[in-house]
This record gives sequence, C-alpha cells and structure tokens, in this order.
Amino acid sequence: MSVGVPLEAPTVSGPEEGPERSDFPVYLARKVGAAVVSFVMLLVVGFIIFSLMPSDPVSALTRGRPTSDAQMNQLRHDLGLDQPLWERFLTFVGHTLTGNLGYSYEYHQPVSTLIADRLWPTLLLMGSSTLISIWLGMWLGIRAGWHPGSLLDRSASAVSLALWSVPTFWLGLILLVVFGSGSVGGIPAIFPAGGMQTHGTAGGLAPSHVLDVAWHLVLPCVTLVAVIFAQYVTIMRSSIIDERGNPYLLTARAKGLRDEVVRRRHAVPNALLPSVTVIFLQIGGMIGGAITVEVVYSWPGLGYLTFTALRIPDLQLLEGTFIVFSAAVIVCNLIADLLYRALDPRVRRQ
Amino acid sequence: MSTLEHDPAPVGEPAEEKAPSRLAPIGRFVVSLLRMPTGLFGVLVMLGFVVLALSAPLFIHPSDLSVTQADGPLLAGPRSGYPLGTDPAGRSVLLLVIWGSRTSLAIGVMATLLTMVLGAGIGLMAGHYQGRVGRLLMHVTDWFIALPSLPLAIALAAVLGQGATSITIAIGVTSWTGTARLVRAQTLAVEARPFIERARALGATDTQLITRQVLPNVMPLILVSSTLTVASAILSEATLTFLGLGDPTSVSWGSLLNNAFMQGAVTAGAWWYLIPPGIAILVIVLGFTLVGRAVEHVLNARVQPR
Amino acid sequence: MTAPFAGLRRRRRVAALAVAAVTAATISAGLLAGPSASAASSGDSTLTVQADTQMTTFNPFLSYYDGELNVIGAIYPALTMLDDQGQPEPYLADSWSTSSDKLTWTFKIHPGLKWSDGQPLTAEDAAWTFNLIMHNATAATSNGSLVSNFKSVTAPDATTLVITTKQPQANMLYLSVPVSGIPIVPEHVWKDHVTGLKNYRNMDFPVVGYGPFTLTGFKTNQYAELTADKSFFLGAPKYDKVVTNYYANSDAAAAALTSGELDQIGGLTPAQFNKMSSESGVMTYQTQSSGWTAIEINPGAQTRSGKPLGTGSPILKDIKVRQAIALGIDRPELVKKVLDGNGIEGAGYLPPGYPQFFWKPSASEALDYDPARAKQLLDDAGYKMGPNGVRVAPDGKPLEFRLGIHSDDATDAAIAPYLKEWMSAIGIKLTVNAMSFDQLNNDLSKGDWDILMDGWSTGPDPTYLLSIQTCGTLPEDNGQNGNTDAFFCNKEYDRLFAKQQTEFDAQQRAATIAQMQSILYAGNADLILFYKNGLDALRTDQVTGFLQGAKQSDGFYPLQHGFASWWKAAPVAGAATASQKASEQSSSAFKWIGLGVVVVLLIGGGVVLMRRRTAAERE
Repeated sequence: MSVGVPLEAPTVSGPEEGPERSDFPVYLARKVGAAVVSFVMLLVVGFIIFSLMPSDPVSALTRGRPTSDAQMNQLRHDLGLDQPLWERFLTFVGHTLTGNLGYSYEYHQPVSTLIADRLWPTLLLMGSSTLISIWLGMWLGIRAGWHPGSLLDRSASAVSLALWSVPTFWLGLILLVVFGSGSVGGIPAIFPAGGMQTHGTAGGLAPSHVLDVAWHLVLPCVTLVAVIFAQYVTIMRSSIIDERGNPYLLTARAKGLRDEVVRRRHAVPNALLPSVTVIFLQIGGMIGGAITVEVVYSWPGLGYLTFTALRIPDLQLLEGTFIVFSAAVIVCNLIADLLYRALDPRVRRQ
Repeated sequence: MSTLEHDPAPVGEPAEEKAPSRLAPIGRFVVSLLRMPTGLFGVLVMLGFVVLALSAPLFIHPSDLSVTQADGPLLAGPRSGYPLGTDPAGRSVLLLVIWGSRTSLAIGVMATLLTMVLGAGIGLMAGHYQGRVGRLLMHVTDWFIALPSLPLAIALAAVLGQGATSITIAIGVTSWTGTARLVRAQTLAVEARPFIERARALGATDTQLITRQVLPNVMPLILVSSTLTVASAILSEATLTFLGLGDPTSVSWGSLLNNAFMQGAVTAGAWWYLIPPGIAILVIVLGFTLVGRAVEHVLNARVQPR
Repeated sequence: MTAPFAGLRRRRRVAALAVAAVTAATISAGLLAGPSASAASSGDSTLTVQADTQMTTFNPFLSYYDGELNVIGAIYPALTMLDDQGQPEPYLADSWSTSSDKLTWTFKIHPGLKWSDGQPLTAEDAAWTFNLIMHNATAATSNGSLVSNFKSVTAPDATTLVITTKQPQANMLYLSVPVSGIPIVPEHVWKDHVTGLKNYRNMDFPVVGYGPFTLTGFKTNQYAELTADKSFFLGAPKYDKVVTNYYANSDAAAAALTSGELDQIGGLTPAQFNKMSSESGVMTYQTQSSGWTAIEINPGAQTRSGKPLGTGSPILKDIKVRQAIALGIDRPELVKKVLDGNGIEGAGYLPPGYPQFFWKPSASEALDYDPARAKQLLDDAGYKMGPNGVRVAPDGKPLEFRLGIHSDDATDAAIAPYLKEWMSAIGIKLTVNAMSFDQLNNDLSKGDWDILMDGWSTGPDPTYLLSIQTCGTLPEDNGQNGNTDAFFCNKEYDRLFAKQQTEFDAQQRAATIAQMQSILYAGNADLILFYKNGLDALRTDQVTGFLQGAKQSDGFYPLQHGFASWWKAAPVAGAATASQKASEQSSSAFKWIGLGVVVVLLIGGGVVLMRRRTAAERE
C-alpha cells in the first residue's frame, strides 16, 4: 500500500473466520479482544520507536535562549528524561490509558489538549471529503457498473486511475497555485491560500463564519475527494457488477420496471450493504491523504500538527498523534467488522 | 494462476507434470501483453523511464546541475534554452526533472525489493507453516495493516533520521502487508495441490518445498505485485520527501516540489516549477500500474478465459 | 401518467425550486452580509500584522518564540527601551545612576503608574520579578543568564530600585528592554502562580499588565488581540487595536496582504518578495539583520580541561585548512544566488543590525574568495592533491569532511550544494548530512562533527552571543554542561570578553568588542556566510509610521522592533477602513463566485432528486 491511498478494495476480515458461525456476543468479544491486543501492541511499538531517538530535547528547546546548565538539568528532570527506560514505558502506558499523552515542549501544552483542539478540523475535512466521495463514487460507480464497458464506465475508470496516480500533495499544490494565489495567468484568487478561516471573523455558528470556513474548505476537500473517490467508484462498481448477475433482478425486469428503477430500487440497496463497512476500512487509508492535504493548505488539523511536530522533533507530540491515528484506525476496523456482521443478513443467517 | 514457470519434476513424477519449454510461454505472454493498448502504453512508459534515467548522465552534464555554474535567470518561466523555465538557483527545470527520475527510480526499486523480500518471505512462511507460527504471522500482518502508513512512515523517518535510506526503509515497512497477504493466499492455494503432497511424501524438506515447488508458482503473482508496488513506492517517496523527510540536497521529484513549496513558488506563481515533477510522477506511476494490471489480466485470461 | 397526478407533479417541482432558490438567497445574503457586518461593528481602528512565529504561551518566564515575545514586549513594561539607534532610553525607569565602584545601580521608577487592574505599579514589582528569575529555576528558563551577575535586587521605596552586581556590568541598561529583555510583571498577580509556573500560560484575559497595549484576546494557532491603553504615559498608541495573526504558511499570509486583510508581513522568501514588490499599495522593504548564517568548523573539540572530545577530523585543527576553506567560499555569490541579493556578505561576528558593533576585516585580514590562494595555501601546507581530486594530508588521510545541515531549513539546503562544489574545486570533499535540529545539536555538543551549518541572532546587547565563544562554555569532562557554539577557545578572547563586560564607556566597549571579532575572524571556527535581510512588506495605503528609522546607505532599513512599530504606527486617514471594507467586499465577491458554483450544483442536484422522486410516481 502506498502511503497515499490504496486502490484495491480491501477485504473485510469477517468471512475469514471460517465455517464455524457463532452468535453475536461471542463474535463481539473476540473482535473487541483482538482490537485491545492491537492497541497494546501499538503502545509497545510506539514507545520503542520513539525511545530510539538519540536526542536531547532540552538543548534543542533552550538553544538561543540564555539558559544556564542548572536550569537545563531542571528541565530534563521535569520532562522525566532522566528516568530509566522501563520506568518511562510504564509511566507512558499509565498516562496514555488515562488520556495523558505527554507534554509538548514546542507548544507548551499537554499533547492531549493540542490533539483535542485539532481534532475537529481534521474530522471536518475527512468527514466532508468522505461524504462527497461516497456520493460521487456511488453516482459514478453504480452507473459504470450497471453498464460495464460503456463509455461512462471506461472514462470513469480512466479518470479514477489517473487521479490515483497523482501525488495528493501535488494536486493540492496545483489547485492552490491556480485558484488560491492569483499569480497564474490572470486567474484571480477565488479561494484562500490556506488556513481554515479568515482572521478576525466572528466565531462559532455565525452564518458568516460557517460560510467562511466552508470557503476555506473547498480546495482541501476537492483535493482529497479527487484522490479518494476512485476507491468508492471501484467498490460500488464491483458490487453492482456482482449484483447484476442475480436472478431476482430478472424478476424485477419481468414486472415491467424500468432499468433505472430496477437499478435504484433493487440492485443498489443490496450492493450497498457490504460497501458500508468498507467505508470504515477506508478511513485508515485516507489518513495519509488527509495529512498531506492539511500540510499543503495549512489546515490546522491533526495532520498538520504531526507535520509541525517533526521540527525539533517534538517527541511526545509525534508519539501522541501517532497513537491517536493508529487507535482511530483500530476502532474503525472494529466498527467495520461489527457492522459487516450486523448488517448483512446473509452472513448472520448461517 | 498459470504455470508460467515450473520446476522440472523430481524423478518419479508422472509424465503429465513434465514442464514444457520455458521460453515459449514467456514469448506468448509478452505478445498478449503488448496486444492490450494499456499494456503497450505501460510497457513503453516503463522502458522509456528506465532508459531515460539510466542514460541521463550521457546528456546531462554536471554543470547543468551545478548551482555555482548555473547562469540562467532565477525562477524564471519557460524561455529559449530553458523549455521548462528555471529553478531558484537558475538551473533548467527540464534537466532537473529528468535527473530526478534517477533518485525516484532508485528508491522505488530498492523499496520494492525490500517490500517483496519482506512480504513474500512472511507470506510464504505464513502460508506454509499452518500451525501456530502461521497464525501468529497472519495476526502480525493483520495488525500491521491497521497501522496507518503515513504516520508510521513519519515516525520511522523521524527516528532513523532523514535521508534516502530511512525513506526506503519506511516505505518497505509500510508496504509489505499487501504482498504478504497475497502471497499467503497463493501459497495456501498452491500447497493444496496434489503435487505438493507427493513431494512431501517423498521426503522433501520445508526449504525445498518452498523454494522448489511453491515459489515458482507464486512468482507470477509477486511479479504483478511488484510492478504495482514500484508505482506506489514512487508515490510514497515523493510524499515523504515533500514532507521534508528526505535528503534535501539530492535532486528528486519530491525534493523539487518540496523546494518549490518552501521557497514560495505558490505565491510567485511559478507553475513551471510545480507542474513538471508532478506530471512526471503521474506518467510513471500510471505506466507501472497499467503494466501491473495488464500482466494480471493476461495471467488471469490464460487461466480462466472469459 | 394520469391526469390526477399531473398537478401534484408540478407542485412538487415548483416547491423544490422554491426551496433551492431560498437556500441560494440565504447563502448569498449571509456571504455579503457577513464580512461587512463585522467590519462595521468595530468602529475601532485595527492594525493587523503577521505574527513572526506561532504563539503558544504568554508566560514571559518561559516564552521562546518571537511571536510571543513581541506581544509580551507590548503588554509589560521594562526598565528601559531602545531608540531607533539601539541606544537605551528611559521607560519605566526615568533615570539611573551607578555607584563609584560600578557595582550598585539605582533606578528611579516613574511614579504614579497603575497596572491595568488599577493596582499601583512600583519598584517592588520590578524587584520581585528579578528575584524570581534569580532564585526560581523554572522562571529562569527564558532569561536566566541575563541575571547571572546580579547579587541582589531590592526596592527601598516605591520609586527606587537598587541592583547590586558581583562584577561591574556594562550592559545593565540592555537587560530589561521590551521584547529582547526581561519584562516587569505585577507581583500581586504572579505570586499566586509561582508554584504552577511551568504550566501557566498567562491567558486570563484581559491580561493584567502595563504598556502601550493590553492583551485582550487570543485564539490558539490564529491570532492574539491587543487593545490600546490610551493613558500610556509615554504617548498613546494611534491604533485602537492590534491583531497579530499567525499564518502557518507564508503563501497564505502573502495572499492576505494582497487582499488588504493584513497591514504588514515579514519573513518573505525572495520569490515572494519579488512578487509583492509589484503589488499596488504595497511597499516592500528590507531590514538589516540581527543575526547571521554561518558554517562552523571543528577547531578541535575539547573539554574544559583540554581533553579531546568527539570524532571531529583532526585535519581541521590546522588553521591553514580552515583559512583555505574560507578562501574557497564565494560569499557575495551566495548572497546573490541564495538570497537573491537580499542580504550582506558575512565577515564579522556581530550583525549589521547593530551598527555600533558591526565590524569588517581590514584588507590584510580579509579572506575573500580566492580559490587560487586557497589551493596554494593547501599545497604549501603539505596537503597535496590526491588521485581522485581530493587532497591528502601528510599522514595519508584524505580531506573529506561531513557537512551537517538542518533538514527542515530551506536555506541550509540551498547553501549546501554551493559549498560542496566550491570545496570540491579546491580539493576538499564534503559529504552533506541532513539532520533534525535536535540531532545536529546533539552531535555538536558531543564533538561528533566536522562542519555544521550554524545560525544565531542577538538582541541589542551582544553579551550572550559573545559568551558562547568563550572557553568557559566548553563542556566538563563528563560531556555535560557545555554551551559552546563551536568549541572555540582563545585566552585573549576570554580576557577581552571579561574586559568589555565592565567597560561602561560605549566607545571603549565597542572597540574591545571589535578586537574580539577580529580574533574570531582569524580563528575561522565560525565562518559567517551572510546576514540575511528581513524581507517585509507593508500596505502603505493603509498604515503610516510603522517603519522606524531611515533607510541606510546600503538601501536597507535598520532593524525593526515590533514594540515600537505597533506603538507608533497610525492608520492612513480615511483610506484604511475604506480599503479594508473594499477588500472585504471584493473577497466576498469571489466567495460568492466560488460558492455560487457549489450552490448551482446543489440546486441542480436538488432538482434532479425531485425529478427522480416524481418519476417514481409515474411508475
């Protein structure tokens, strides 16, 4: 998988469990258990990776400032850097489980506060992009799959493939320079050159603020959608193709229903079912795209936070964002597994 | 999967398993590949890219890449002598983009090798050793898939220090799972075939089984997977370098874009500096992906004619 | 399609279109109403500037970033402030005197001042602030070393502050200045925060302080808002408010300046600077630098007791090699190519932003670009050219060195190839290693380096910058407690350093410091490459009086101090608010265009949806 976005439709791990079909509580317990194990392993690996860094954050923090040696030692002690490794790990696990993700010395705030602040912009960006991609993917994918080999189908595939082959950040840069800078060929800056809102506008839910944020959201959203909608097209398309072959659709046609209605009323709902779970699985793949889009547009979300954490690097902050991202993916995969099981009557019935 | 390459059967195997001449199937494969328009395009792009990258030193002189000897206008648009304009140091963007293909190719190939070795290795073992080892490996693979790739790559690169090596390792570590799953599935399928049972009955060791029987049958899949992996490795390299995790002094497509972004090319409207590296990435990735898909299509067509 | 349903169909379609139209109208109304509404509601004049850096805390004991320091400098008083020549003049202290042994300073604090919450502002507050820094390790984070020579600080009465020092201290008047020095904080507010000082971000608005402005608002990662104190005893600010905005990327900031939403922007790249120069109503200007970019060459890293440290190449201990390196670098070319001419070539250790200290080598001292001379020097010293273009030392070791650069610094990355090529031209091979800020400092302190990119800036008093080249900052034998910049150690330099600390006559001090710079230049441990000018832009159609000082002979403006600029700037009569509004309108026109497309799509989608629903009725 590229650190951008995977193109192939991922498989849900549900059916791999084998022929023994157990009831839901057992399934739930097993899946949740697996998720917990994943999370623990995540903590271990995360800690190991970040403890490997050969650096003294204190000297980086105070460089350029007239700080004395004693003061630097004090800072080291305050940051807990003089404890042995295993003690630091235990402290780390304990803290993480209670929501204390450490202290960012670059921002002078607890990491969890920073993450909480930046969570909403990332959710807004990823959420709106996902919704639009699903809508677009559905619209295109279903039509393409209903008439495979048609012009629509082929051009949809071609466009999807082309957009997947393009680096997300580059697409963002191009859109930014063409529509956001006003410096190319006389095209005025229709959209802002980055950020989430115009400074000084009223906050909260004031209509002007909402519209201002929406205006800033357009380019990042378009960039992210362009890159990820291809997956949804693929998923919907293959689902519809699978459904097309089903005999019950023949019955529907025999009833005299128009092609479009057959598609819309009968094929699509059944095809959509497995697709719903896949949406959650895709979130993991979308994180990479969201990070690069946030960096290009300076969208103040978690991805941009991760990027700025690379500066010194700010260890605790990097660790915190890494854990939050990975935990989010674990949760989404768990939801996907559960949804798959809960939604698809065919799976449940066995 | 087709039996594109098949080891000569050990002594005592029935005649039906005797392998035909090796070259004919390859020839047929290549022909059917080239008959597909996408396959043809992809192969041409791939070959063109490799040829260009390898032959670049023949027509690009060090002085073209040298900052001290660059005498073009700084960050200027296309003009005579500089078809794609100049970068902030006055060098020709066209030559830089061509030269950048070398780093991208190198890292793409190295990362793919690493991915293949890791992924195929783990996949083979997971598929072959069915018991606890196999399940453990499968769980590890599944767990790894759950880790979002870009944050992991960022974490790794930050720890290993910026540079081409850490990017290669980061890409390898985040990409092997796809190959591992594919290879594992294929290993399971291959091992279900009767000739494996026979070989085992004849006393073949695990190593022999894997290397002589399973691996050759899995190779076509690995081949397909590797072309697609090269495509995504090139994309990943560009992304990671753009984020500043690469070697800022080496010329690669990602570093050209990173440079452009950091030097304010957006405000300056220097589209000639921003567009060509991206187009190059697009074309190359498209080419490799199309080849991979075409190969897959051809291989599938031979097994299940549609 | 039967007649009874026809009416229903038409009604639904009409209803759908009506809904869509109302939505579009609301959106447009919101768009056009929004921005102008907020502009009209504030009759205050606001100066909108770009924050130099992000702002994370306004705790003056912990603050680190320039963006924060600029704000802190405007909301807390200091004992003195600097005029546009960089010389101290009265601020909180009306006057001062020293004892005959120069060890006691007596400051007369301006009487009758009150903090913004009405409490009296007295010498007690100043004494309390200094004592906190002297005795509390956390409070000393930002400015601890500035008080390292203080023996005691007392306030015998409300308007008298007495500071005694251990040694005579010439730079006393530079220690408490806005932005770059120690601000005075209200004791009655801060004494409750001493225990939790590390976590206190000082964001209880309005922040109790005294100065031309009060900090009244802050939005994380966005802006800080300051309100003018019209009763400021040294003169009311002309603006009612100052908003300092943080832009994560400079392209967004440049766009904001172009649209008129920003009055002033700094830190442009050369490419952006050139683009801004052609904008109407915008004046671009360069300010002299308060710092430099250099490469440091490992002259033989050692501990305080002389024990060698680290893996630096011993070849670089030879001064001739370092001189050859200096001769092999074309500094004017670097300024021309890397800075696009927006800078001054490097030489002396103290930057041109402080003309009283700025030093240039004499013709005989100078090591200007002369590769032929460099090659000759190396040849004569016994470093003969080897087979592959790399020179070889008499003991057989090749002249191959590591050049460490900051991986996140675009300028470092731009400079590195030039150095590599110039060194290769004189037979030295450089291997460029990009490292994180942290790692580079780590290697530096352990002596595991040959050549590193280096950069420093200084406030108006150069004591700290000079100190990091003294032998006293070398690490101890255990590798700890070092604060050296380049492991430079020279007895004469140290002697002069001690001397200038006690020289109260400005001319004498400048002369001593000039001698020190000469020693540093000859030592070639820090090779100053250039002083990068500040590249700023100002909307002169909206702001006047922002730029302090006059254009110098080299075409650059003197170093600017945020504190003075904000205080003394004034809105251009009539034009400012008008053009702000006008730009708001035009930007909202673009918003309308942009969102209009989206709205059309929504309407289109809505109509289609409605049609499909009615089509279902048809079945």
